[in-house]
This record gives sequence, C-alpha cells and structure tokens, in this order.
Amino acid sequence: MSATRTFAVTLTIPDNEAFTAFETLSRLGIALARVGRADIWLFDVDASAGDLAATIASIETIHNPNKHRLTERSSDRPAPGEVWVAPRDEAPATLVAGRAIAGVRTIRRRTAWRLVDDQGADVPSAELVRAVESFLCNRAFQVAITA
Amino acid sequence: MAVLVFPGTNSEDETLRAVRAVGLDGALVHWSSPEVLAQFDAFILPGGFAYEDRVRSGAVAAHDALIDPVIEAAQAGKFVLGICNGAQILAEAGLVPGTGPLRHPTAAFAPNASGRFQSVHVHVKLAVAPERIPILAGIAPGAVIPAWASHGDGRLAAPTDELERIERDGHCAFVYCDRDGNPVPAPNGAALDCAALVNRAGNVLAIMPHPERDAWTFNHNDASRDAARGDTQAMLAPSGGIRLFEHFARALRGGVPA
Repeated sequence: MSATRTFAVTLTIPDNEAFTAFETLSRLGIALARVGRADIWLFDVDASAGDLAATIASIETIHNPNKHRLTERSSDRPAPGEVWVAPRDEAPATLVAGRAIAGVRTIRRRTAWRLVDDQGADVPSAELVRAVESFLCNRAFQVAITA
Repeated sequence: MAVLVFPGTNSEDETLRAVRAVGLDGALVHWSSPEVLAQFDAFILPGGFAYEDRVRSGAVAAHDALIDPVIEAAQAGKFVLGICNGAQILAEAGLVPGTGPLRHPTAAFAPNASGRFQSVHVHVKLAVAPERIPILAGIAPGAVIPAWASHGDGRLAAPTDELERIERDGHCAFVYCDRDGNPVPAPNGAALDCAALVNRAGNVLAIMPHPERDAWTFNHNDASRDAARGDTQAMLAPSGGIRLFEHFARALRGGVPA
C-alpha cells in the first residue's frame, strides 16, 4: 500500500528567482504584479514512513528553517491558477542529499509557478499559458502540469 | 568580436584571451550596453551562470535585451559562438538547432543524466562535413579538439522527432570522442552523444565543453603538458582547444588563414 504525499517549500526571504521571472515575463508583455514560486516535492511512501513532515523539515537540502516555509498539501496536483513544471523524462529519485528516507519509495520534484495580477487575482489562464509556452517551460525537455 | 557578459558570466576573460591569441580584435560587452553590439562583426557568448541560471539554464539571458541584436545578427549571417552557458542561451533563444520559432526552443541542454555538476576533460570530434559549418572555416574532416566539460546542464535533450531531424540534417556538429577520435558515450548522457549544435546556415555554433579552458599547454591533461615542464615558453604556448578559435578567426577573415 503506497500513497503520495505532497510538500511545498517556499522562501520566507525575497525570492530572487521569482523576481527575475517577473522581470522577464513583464518584458514579454505579460501583465502581472507578482510571481509566486514553490518547490514541490512528491513522496511516494508506504506505511513505514512515520512522521514524514518532521523528517523532511530536518533535511536542509529541502527545508532550511532560516529561510523556508514547509507546507503539506492535500493533493498531488497543482492548485487552480498554478502550473507545475517538471522534466519530461523524469526518473524518480530514491535519495535526498545522498540518503534514503525511511518509508519513501520514490521522490519527484516540480517547480510551481503562480502569476498574480495587480488585483491580487491569478492572471487569466490564457496569459498563464502564454507565460508557460514563452518562458516558464522548455517543451524540448519539460512538461507543464495544470489543474 | 564581442564577448558578451551577463550577470553571472564567468569565462569572459579566458575567452577574450583566446580570441586575441588568434589575432582577433575582441572586447567585452556587458548586459547594460546592448546598443553597442551593432558595431561588431561576430559574437561569443562565454560560459558561466547568466542570471544564476534562474528558472532554467540560459532561459533568462535568452530573453535579455543583449540577445536581441545577436539574434538579428545571426539571422543576417554573422557568426555567433556559444560556449557552455552561452550554448544553453543559444538553444533557449531558438538559434540552435534553429528548427523552430525564435525563443521557442526545440532542443535543450538539460540537466546531466547524473543529476550532478560534472567537470571532466573531454575530446570532441567534428561530426559534420567541414562545408556544413562555415563558422569554423578550414577545419579538417573529423577534427578532434580537446576541451574541459564543466557543466550541470549539458545533456542534449529533445523530442524524438526533433532528435531525428538534428541527426538527419547535420545539426549535431561535434560528438564526444577519445583523444584518437573514437566515439565515447557523452559524460552527461547527451542524446546522440552530441557536444555541440549548429544551425542550418552553419553560422551559429553552440558547444558545451570549453575549448578556451584547454587552449594553452599548461591547460592540457596529457603528456604535452608534462613535456613542457621547465620550458616556460612551451608551457604558455597556445595549442589544443585554441584550434577552434583559429578556425573561427579564419571564418571571420573570409576563409583566409592567419
């Protein structure tokens, strides 16, 4: 019996990568006020996984408490308005920072992007698609996953 | 000859040194000065980590204002060479293999199969007919050039039909080989064991390993370096990877050797 548990890691300090993405998307003519970014970790676990959240929180490769916020999500799919970018030919990993995690069978990573307009709402889906196709995802080796 | 510098570029000095060693008049051009690029005849995008490779290697730089005149020049037939991060930028800009719309890449230098940054000495062999690659004028068929591969994202990746096109239409300019030119697997897991892409016209070349880091005897990882010990002049002599720059310079002189 296995299940997928999904964790999002966001920065609590300014996210330079998100800001650079914002600058580039603005240059491409996409109207937005802010870019949100998160590292998504998908763990396929079995019953022996134990307190996975606590384990992950202690692995600084994933979560550095000085600058990261770790949140468990209820779904292994993107939230509405969000896009996940992943490698097309992904081979799920079994180790993090060279070590196995008890009860974890495979590990997959995605980058989650959310584009927000000046009203604080998600940009229209057509704009999100344009951002994905023109910049956020290289279709030659990546895939974009939406809700 | 303009050597482009983005925030995070780190190979501009050795690249400029190689350019000048083959008799070219080169200058560094920083990202804040795209307007000066119009006065140059050719362009090199050196290695490094432009914009920290945020989002994806080469992706932000490919949309930078500094690339606009480079794209224009490439389309006008001027010579453009990208090395390592420069190669990634050219792929993201759609200039190589150049089979799709600009800035909608059809191929990528994706993360190494190992998932790790690798720094290894390599040799690369010309995999196309010399006339297919006018940016390297006078290069011999099957020429072998030494270089240092130093990258985390150097694995050529593309959908199957695009890889077939790259192979069929001679877009894979160099493949990894041993010092004798025998094929070897790409250290990064690149499709086709490809180390460099060239566009259809042959005036834009994107090579992942660094020939400029193996362009002097003291850089070499072979007996020639040992043989030069005690002889400063021999140790500082240009050789090995400098040949790529010699052919590039010859192309800029209209095919005339120095």
